[in-house]
Amino acid sequence: MRPQSTRSAPNPRGGCAIAVGTEHAPARGNDAGSPAPDQAQLEAARKRAHRRKLSKNWSLFILFAGPNILLILAFIYYPLFSNMYYSTLDWRLGARTATPVGLDNYITFFTSPSGQEVWRVTGIFTLGAVAGSMILGLLIALVLNKRIPGRTAARTAVFSPYVLSGVGVALVWDFIFDPNRGALMHLLAVFGIESPSWKLDADWNLVMVIIVYVWKNLGYCAVVFLAGLQSVPRDLIEAAMIDKAGAVRRFFSIVLPLLTPTVFFLLVTNIIFSMTNAFDILRTMTPTGHGTNTIIFEIYLQSFGQYQRAGYSAAIAVVLFFTLFLITAVQLRYVERKVHYQ
Amino acid sequence: MNITARTAWKPAAVFSVAALALTACGPDTSGEGTAGETEEIDWSEVEPAESITFWTNHPGGSQDVEQELIDEFTEETGIEVELVTSGANYEETSQRFQTAQGTGDVGDVVVLSDATWFTNYLNDALIPVDDVLEAAEVDVSGYVEALYEDYLYEDSHYGVPYARSTPLFYYNADHYEEAGIEDVPTTWEEVEEVSQQLMEAEVASSAFAFPPQDQYPAWTMANLVWGYGGGWSDEWDFSTVSSQETIEALEFAQEAAGDWASVASGDQADDFAAGVASQVVQSTGSLGGILESAEFEVGTAFLPTGPNGEENVVPTGGAGLMIAAESEPERQLAAAMFVGHMTSAESTAKFSEATGYVPVHQDADMSDVYEETPQFETAVNQLERTRVQDFARVFLPGGDLELAQTLQRILTEDVDVAEEMERVEGEFESLYERDLAAELDG
Repeated sequence: MRPQSTRSAPNPRGGCAIAVGTEHAPARGNDAGSPAPDQAQLEAARKRAHRRKLSKNWSLFILFAGPNILLILAFIYYPLFSNMYYSTLDWRLGARTATPVGLDNYITFFTSPSGQEVWRVTGIFTLGAVAGSMILGLLIALVLNKRIPGRTAARTAVFSPYVLSGVGVALVWDFIFDPNRGALMHLLAVFGIESPSWKLDADWNLVMVIIVYVWKNLGYCAVVFLAGLQSVPRDLIEAAMIDKAGAVRRFFSIVLPLLTPTVFFLLVTNIIFSMTNAFDILRTMTPTGHGTNTIIFEIYLQSFGQYQRAGYSAAIAVVLFFTLFLITAVQLRYVERKVHYQ
Repeated sequence: MNITARTAWKPAAVFSVAALALTACGPDTSGEGTAGETEEIDWSEVEPAESITFWTNHPGGSQDVEQELIDEFTEETGIEVELVTSGANYEETSQRFQTAQGTGDVGDVVVLSDATWFTNYLNDALIPVDDVLEAAEVDVSGYVEALYEDYLYEDSHYGVPYARSTPLFYYNADHYEEAGIEDVPTTWEEVEEVSQQLMEAEVASSAFAFPPQDQYPAWTMANLVWGYGGGWSDEWDFSTVSSQETIEALEFAQEAAGDWASVASGDQADDFAAGVASQVVQSTGSLGGILESAEFEVGTAFLPTGPNGEENVVPTGGAGLMIAAESEPERQLAAAMFVGHMTSAESTAKFSEATGYVPVHQDADMSDVYEETPQFETAVNQLERTRVQDFARVFLPGGDLELAQTLQRILTEDVDVAEEMERVEGEFESLYERDLAAELDG
């Protein structure tokens, strides 16, 4: 991986150098053909040419990049910094006045029992969702990697929940989990188990949304793992087979180490997804958040739920932003440098 | 790079401009308030505007009937009304109204529920309607009193009743017959007796279903605690929530939930309509849905009273029509005329017939509806027993949620009711301190 990136790096610089060279060439030719001007004139002409070129480059830059930069400033950076400013206010949603409170909102979030509960729930949800989707996704990918009949249909079926609307998925599962009429209740009854009242207990509520999230998300993990598995060199596996290594040994000694970049990529993207993308399921299945207040849901509940605390909610959003920023930074660092195989 | 005065001015300038831009669009943090904006308007000097906008979530699937009433109004007055779908429910409508403040694009008339209007009042987003309704010649004495009094705060009304509902006692008449029950219970004590009979007859998996946390249990269960002489608060005095009477009422509910009653996992109206529970206390607004899906005879009765004999134990609910403070006086006057039209005796009868909400005007003629749906008459007659809801549930931000979570815990876990309600009282105090005290106590 690294040699490739070092080879590709000089290319843009090389291209740029050639372009600059060709632009300068005719100027030098003209100078050579005319009577030699004095040094000051030459210097002034060079400066003028330089300024012209600079202003031309700037115009081009503004022309091409300007609209995009404006959009990014208006729709990403402006809201981002506005939000940071709002996070320093005690502000009820829609109120015309607010009181600046400095970092009080952050202190409340990190020290109050309800703020700590958000971290606990986010931790459990993320752990359950990421571990569940990745382990099950890997198992499914291992099965789908074999030459079995109906493999393409199975791959499509496994991936399809991922592209379904979260709200639709949540509504269907809401019915499945109903302890009096739901499909799961009938299934559990076959084994003589009484369905728990999922919605009435905060812990079961969290288990319920993790199950639904994993079901929806594991197709994504399975497909990425499948791509990883198919890039494992066949000759290594065959060599191990000749050495009489069993399937389990081959998996742990050859396949899994070669899958580390995939595992790491999925780990990071899944952590980010589970912290940000689960909102639709959480909001639909547990509208008032009973034991399911992950950080993204808490932002909504604090601001648009009953509390109407826009300032406090903005502070939690800033905390989430920096948490994700940190995770992404770690990913960039490690994916580039640490996780690779030769 | 060395940071010098010469190099530092650019970032400093950018930062200052950005900071200015950010603060310009945010709320006013000067601490001066907006007291100057609430000056008296001489409505006799104001001419109504030619067009206004109406923000509504069409409660109870009322888009068609709303348009019909609007057309009548336009024909009568020549004032155009633009019907805007402002959300899927009351919460979304309020969110949109709140976030639109200061943008110049706010509906002149907006539908706000019992639990969302007070926040908008605190935000100075609503006008008191008493004077403007008088100027628009709307007779407010015709409204069902308790429904209009819901919008009274500090001597002014901030809305008029529109899509209003109350809880109602529903029972499965087939189950009653099977269990040999002849008289419909009128007190909670009788509900217990009847429920024991239903359980013995094994006609359903539970005789009564309490609502879960996300089905507003503090609304329907206000009836039970009021029946015992308790409540969620007495105006801003939160000691009522941990009073002996409230605790007794909730201990009754806790015992019931472990015996003849259950807590619904989803909407308790679904449990009732599916025959899983024989009796339920649910909104009058659910009547249509229940009648449609139930395959048995549905009976309705007044909400049960409690040991203290008080009859006015029916909490009001639903939504009203409010007028935006941000609109110009001309539009506000036209809005008041429109509000009066939408809630007149004829209009409310039409609206009620189309949606199942209770008529908000005492003179509404509902005889046609009663003929077709006799159960609805109970809902309307019960309006005589209505009582304005407690502040802690409808005015305290987060108060309803705190109650809902606690009620679910009491009903599903073996917790000590007195301890829980004392904790709720403390929680109410801290919510008040954090979110309201600065404004309400000056």
